Amino acid sequence: MAKKESSFVNMVITLFVITLTASIALGFAYEFTKAPIAVAKHAAKMKAINEVLPEFNNLPNEEIYKKAIDNDTLYFYPAREDNKLVGTAIETFTNKGFSGNIKLMVGILPDGSINDIVVLEHKETPGLGDKMSKSKSDFSLQFQGINPENFDLSVKNDGGDVDAITASTISSRAYCDAVNRAYNAYLKGGKK
Amino acid sequence: MNQWKNFNKGFFRENAVFVLYLGLCPILGVTTSVINGVGMGLATTFVLLMSNIVVTLVKSFIPDKVRIPSFIVIIASFVTIVELLMQAYLPSLFNELGLFIPLIVVNCLVLGRAEAFASKNTFTSSVVDGLGMGLGFTMALFFLGGVREILGSGSFLGFKFIPGDGILLFILAPGAFITLGYLIMLMNKINKKTA
Amino acid sequence: MNKLLTVSPSPHIYGKDTTPNLMYGVIIALIPAILASILYFGWGSVIVISVAVISSVLFEFLIQRFLLQKKTTIQDGSAVITGLLLSLCLPSNFPVSLIILGSLFAIGVGKLSFGGLGNNPFNPALVGRVFLFISFPAKMTSWPEAKGFQTQFIDASTGATPLNIIKEGLGKGDSISHLMDKIPTYQQLFFGNMGGSIGEVAAVALILGLAYLLLRKIITWHIPVSIILTVVIFTGILWLVNPAQNADPLFHILSGGILLGAIFMATDYVTSPMTSKGMILYGICIGILTVVIRRFGSYPEGVQFAILIMNGFVPLINYYIKPKRFGEEVKNG
Repeated sequence: MAKKESSFVNMVITLFVITLTASIALGFAYEFTKAPIAVAKHAAKMKAINEVLPEFNNLPNEEIYKKAIDNDTLYFYPAREDNKLVGTAIETFTNKGFSGNIKLMVGILPDGSINDIVVLEHKETPGLGDKMSKSKSDFSLQFQGINPENFDLSVKNDGGDVDAITASTISSRAYCDAVNRAYNAYLKGGKK
Repeated sequence: MNQWKNFNKGFFRENAVFVLYLGLCPILGVTTSVINGVGMGLATTFVLLMSNIVVTLVKSFIPDKVRIPSFIVIIASFVTIVELLMQAYLPSLFNELGLFIPLIVVNCLVLGRAEAFASKNTFTSSVVDGLGMGLGFTMALFFLGGVREILGSGSFLGFKFIPGDGILLFILAPGAFITLGYLIMLMNKINKKTA
Repeated sequence: MNKLLTVSPSPHIYGKDTTPNLMYGVIIALIPAILASILYFGWGSVIVISVAVISSVLFEFLIQRFLLQKKTTIQDGSAVITGLLLSLCLPSNFPVSLIILGSLFAIGVGKLSFGGLGNNPFNPALVGRVFLFISFPAKMTSWPEAKGFQTQFIDASTGATPLNIIKEGLGKGDSISHLMDKIPTYQQLFFGNMGGSIGEVAAVALILGLAYLLLRKIITWHIPVSIILTVVIFTGILWLVNPAQNADPLFHILSGGILLGAIFMATDYVTSPMTSKGMILYGICIGILTVVIRRFGSYPEGVQFAILIMNGFVPLINYYIKPKRFGEEVKNG
């Protein structure tokens, strides 16, 4: 087969056809995967909310509200059991991680104590900082059931009450920073 | 052309990673475990196969001067499709690989095969070439991921057989380079014997 | 040793310095540091040193004999030095299995992968040490405190090194004058009464070793002196500018691995520049990098990274700063 000549018209037509076909194909792919992607994202978030809060029977995802505190915007997911508030899940973050941002989901009970925390996203060093994940070590368990009112949310090296992950003081500090952010936001009007 | 030879060249004689040294950036980044490595490898294989097929079908309609932009658009479309599919059906793998999937577009292996092979060969040869190169790439990522996971985390396919932490270095980037170096050394030895 | 003819411009001078001769000289120079480490850390130090030396020599032998099937070169003493230097920068309670792993990495990856003694671009002992440091940071940073010679195997109480105390303290916003109360006095630093790797704590022992190396002309003064002077000047400037945030130069020299690194590791023949001008440039860069890592990096100690980084630049230094040919006129005086 003879190659097509590289004339201006030929090139324009070819590129036009190719990009048009590609965009149509991508449009279809996007439509096709839109629903499953939303479901997957929702499932991941709900799983985190479920983990950090006690039993509830509303849809916290639909009652989401946000609150801007000190230039940071945090998202709140209130959970209710028969219309009574049983806890609030707060999506919080810190940029003090050893490498990149860390995102946490913190569950706070109406009395202000922390129910549980899970890590949504992090890029900490495997084997060191990633021990903040529940599956990797017991680090996050020490936060369960404490009330930051009488528990200093900073690592022991800094005079606080938190046992840092061995050799990962920076990651531990960042974790505390994120939890603190959630708690402060909760106190400063995030509570509803 | 002998199709069997055409297929297996991707594994040994022209292995993308160990012999041609193509596409090293994503493979060094993702091979912290076998699952990640193989996931990346299969995603690349899919893109490679599809782009080889499309390129070989349309090769005679594309004027020479715009062939590279055309190939890139074709490849990028397939990469985006892979990204969307993975996000929808394999969200946990996507979380691990997410950053590296768009990088398949600039993986020299994919463009290299489109330019050097699919645009010059028949449909069958291009399919075989795409499959062979892609699976050879996957094999390389499997070994790299396997060694790094065993040494670095003391586990294989997520199954932990050594309690505690492994040798952290192998999970980090320098470990990827060191492992790759030794695997290349092994590959050279194998290729020397069979040649 | 090397049967190949070496081609170099005449005149040729025959020296009686053979590789084993020089290597054993280095070992003798390390004896004070070894004795000091045993004095401070007891059996732990004996175990760490002997395991590292034996496994280094053994791995060199095994790999050369069976994997590479070449003549073995263990009798030249370089493997012994690698093992010794590696052990001297480990904590005294370091697990035996990991010491063996570190020796394997130092010899196998750091040295023999590149073709053995003379071809390795990086100091093998430091390769092993950094490998262990990055792979097992938790175990590499729990330093037993110097307790004097103890005959029983005990878990020594662990504490931070002086550099760690400073780093952590500054991170919390403490000032230096306040932190200085918590760290050992200069006498303690000088004689080695503090937490740290077994070989780096006793400054006086390392300085004795330096004197021996210089007297026997095994090394020249250029590298150690330029490293130490650079550190003194650089930390001195920082200290004068802001004494509340920076420790003084004497503290920087006496704590951590600067002396061990400057005297025994940076001076390794294979991985340091050939000319005295090159050596001084190399030393200055190591000094600057060390202080930059200590003061601005996230690690408390940076000398080993600094030396490895500069090892990588040695071929470049050798390329641009060449030895003067015999008889060459010195231009412009």
